[in-house]
Amino acid sequence: MDQFVQAVINGIMLGGFYAVMVLGFSIIWGVMGVINLAHGEFIMAGAYTTWFLSKQYGWEPLVSLLVVMIIFFVIGYILQRILINRIIDRPPLISLLITFGLAIIMSNSFKLVFTATPRSVDTLLSGFWRTGNVTVPVTKTTILIVAVLMMAALHLFLQRTRLGKSIRAAAQNREAARIVGIVIAAVYALTFAISISMTGAAGTLISPIQPIYPFMGAVLTLKAFAITAMSGLGSIPGALFGGIVLGLIETFVATYVPGIGTNLGIISSYVILVVVLVVRPQGLFGGLKPVEVR
Amino acid sequence: MNPASAEPLLAGHNVSKYFGGLAALSSVDFAVYPGEIMGLIGPNGSGKTTLFDCLSRVQKVDKGQITFKGEDITGKKPYQVAHMGLARTFQVVRIYRKLSVLENMLLSRQWGGMGVIHLFRRYPKGIEERARDLIHFLLLDPIIEEQAGNLSGGQQRLLEIGMALMPDPDLILLDEATSGINPTLVETIKDRIVELNKKHSKTFLLIEHNIQFIGDLCSRVFVLNYGEMLAEGTPDEIMNNEDVIEAYFGMDGSDDEFDE
Amino acid sequence: MVRLVSFWQQYHLGRWALIIVALALFALPLAQIIVPERKLVTNSLLFSFTQMFMLVTMASNWNLTGGYTGYIDFGHAVFFGLGAYGTGVLMAKAGWIFFPSLIVGAIVALIFALLIGSATLRLKGPYFSIAMLGTFVAMREIVRVIKPLTGGGTGLTLPPYLNRPLFYYVTLIQAVIVVVFVWWLIKHTEFGQSLIAIREDEVGAEMRGINATLHKITIFTIAAFSTGLVGGLWAYQNTFIDPDIVFIESRTLDLVMIVMLGGLGTIAGPVLGAVLLYWMRDIIWANFLQFHLIIQGLVLILIVLFLPEGIVGSISDRSGGTTIGRLWGRYFTAEEDTAPEKAEVGP
Repeated sequence: MDQFVQAVINGIMLGGFYAVMVLGFSIIWGVMGVINLAHGEFIMAGAYTTWFLSKQYGWEPLVSLLVVMIIFFVIGYILQRILINRIIDRPPLISLLITFGLAIIMSNSFKLVFTATPRSVDTLLSGFWRTGNVTVPVTKTTILIVAVLMMAALHLFLQRTRLGKSIRAAAQNREAARIVGIVIAAVYALTFAISISMTGAAGTLISPIQPIYPFMGAVLTLKAFAITAMSGLGSIPGALFGGIVLGLIETFVATYVPGIGTNLGIISSYVILVVVLVVRPQGLFGGLKPVEVR
Repeated sequence: MNPASAEPLLAGHNVSKYFGGLAALSSVDFAVYPGEIMGLIGPNGSGKTTLFDCLSRVQKVDKGQITFKGEDITGKKPYQVAHMGLARTFQVVRIYRKLSVLENMLLSRQWGGMGVIHLFRRYPKGIEERARDLIHFLLLDPIIEEQAGNLSGGQQRLLEIGMALMPDPDLILLDEATSGINPTLVETIKDRIVELNKKHSKTFLLIEHNIQFIGDLCSRVFVLNYGEMLAEGTPDEIMNNEDVIEAYFGMDGSDDEFDE
Repeated sequence: MVRLVSFWQQYHLGRWALIIVALALFALPLAQIIVPERKLVTNSLLFSFTQMFMLVTMASNWNLTGGYTGYIDFGHAVFFGLGAYGTGVLMAKAGWIFFPSLIVGAIVALIFALLIGSATLRLKGPYFSIAMLGTFVAMREIVRVIKPLTGGGTGLTLPPYLNRPLFYYVTLIQAVIVVVFVWWLIKHTEFGQSLIAIREDEVGAEMRGINATLHKITIFTIAAFSTGLVGGLWAYQNTFIDPDIVFIESRTLDLVMIVMLGGLGTIAGPVLGAVLLYWMRDIIWANFLQFHLIIQGLVLILIVLFLPEGIVGSISDRSGGTTIGRLWGRYFTAEEDTAPEKAEVGP
């Protein structure tokens, strides 16, 4: 029983992280129709940035969070203007190819600069709370809390602020939004910037709990796909749901299937992805875009 | 004109189709007899194209049965009913835009075969001749080498009709074949349909908003409203049917379809 | 005869040029025998050519589903890996000799293609690409996990091979067969023409009597088998396999780049692209080794942005459209709903 409870707790914590990890990916796709195959690489970049700040200035990961978010906001904005802007009105195949190229560039650049040796980030938030045989790690709890706060903030932003509403309008119907006076180019630039900012932040959040290496991105991108497939595009509650489902599945598989551990997590993500895509392609939640039937 | 035989060519029994909670089609019963030109009308959103999708097997039905030439086709795939002799055009034309008119036609002929191995044969002779004949029949000769995507709306519709005719089908479903087309071309299409019907015994089922077109061509018309069969009869009967008038007036408030 | 894909303008000249080149390539190793002192043809040159022939084959295979059917497979390298591991496991663990292992390895790839293709080929555009990419990533881990069979992360060592010209000829023959097959298929069979119809508008094609599912799965499987063969050949030649050198993203990157550079949906494109990429990479490796993948990624982006038709595609496309543009309907624009939908229609 204890093992079960432990698995549930671990699963939810992992799920909370996954949920916030996927937001940027899902929003870029939902609003701009761009599928970012370099998503995992931005997380990796965020993690390396956090590591660098930790090594260079001794900053706690949580403290670097804001800095990372600002840096990646700027990076996202610039990237959107010079590259992504060109591919929005083109067939999505182009965005796949270009972000694929981008992913390769990023992972190999980081390998060049930081080498392939895995890095780790130390944090003061270590230790456990214990009830009976169940342990609740402090680090992961903090990450979960931060993740939920970020999601709530994003949700409020999209629902309450003018820019947020513009983004949602643009996602629903670009032409109509344009007619109403929403400046699409600016909306896209900001959407991308915000999304990359969140993705970089996800890198900060992941940095204390896993080794950082240049090629860690591919698996994370795959997981983002699996979650988005389950949860639909641009849906925050969906991302939370999908993230937790994935987190629970991975944790249970790791707990109850002997001897294999996290590798099977990747396989489970993949299996989920394929099953969902084949069985229920429109995801389980509507998300930002209305789902057309054909 | 009465149905030439008692056996319908295409029939639907109790056809229902749901999208989420919405019933796009509810218990639709109808029959098209060989040699007829039949009309299908109804306000926007009444389910006409959905019905076509179900008949041509592009969509599954949730309830009910569809038979073609006496055979139950409810479970079949589009290419299977195409091989049986059913052809269809689409509300938004599905032509091969990057290829030429001739290439479009050549790719549209009957591809029936006996299994995978057969597909690796060279394609049969006479195809190009047939394609050119049909292009001529539809007055598309001047643009035979044009890229299909560059054609005008009307020309694209004609091309799609030509493509539907390539496999020499017995039943042709035309979805808004005259939509957005100038009146001269509409006359051409009308003449061609009549010729195909009278000389080559082809059966037609037409979705149309152009009531005059329907009136001139069709022996029978049936009317869909909100996914349900509202009325059925000759064009005269339909146009004087109160329920039908109410449906059109009530729905979108436009009465221009009924201007004669 | 329908001229749906034009070669280049002087069609017959092009064909003859290729035949001459092919004959020259067949004769090449003989130069070593005839004039051994001249050292014109070194072993490393033969090795280079072998690698290039393998690229030509894989790129042409990939082009069958990507360029002609319109399903851009981001995980095609998974079949390479399955062929490599099929061959490797049989040779290293079961003690088989090479040729049977090679064939069985390719059959493993074929069977897997049948299974996974039935699921993924139903998906529209980007979703197919992503599902296949996921397949590739997942397979790497699966191979790593079933350690008793595959040797896991430590890998497997194969018995060494001794006969270099053998590889040269086998890969050359395969490349020639594949290119000729593509040419024959597209220009001379109904099957090939149907693929093009499917690429242009799958629903329309189905409505006009083409069994799209059958066509897609058949061509997907054929391409997988052929790539599986290349994988097996590579494994034997390399004498060592492990998940991280077999299942590397750069293989997919290479294929995508080659075909994009050469011309998606053309016959000569993959050939030209493979040759160019190979020699380009040689130059980059010689001078900027650590940067080579970065440069490749950059080049891919540039090609996609500025030369999406590739070289052959830009020269020979009469219609003025683009192959990327042709896939518009399948890879829907950002305007339309981008939620995943099944490409396959009907029950």
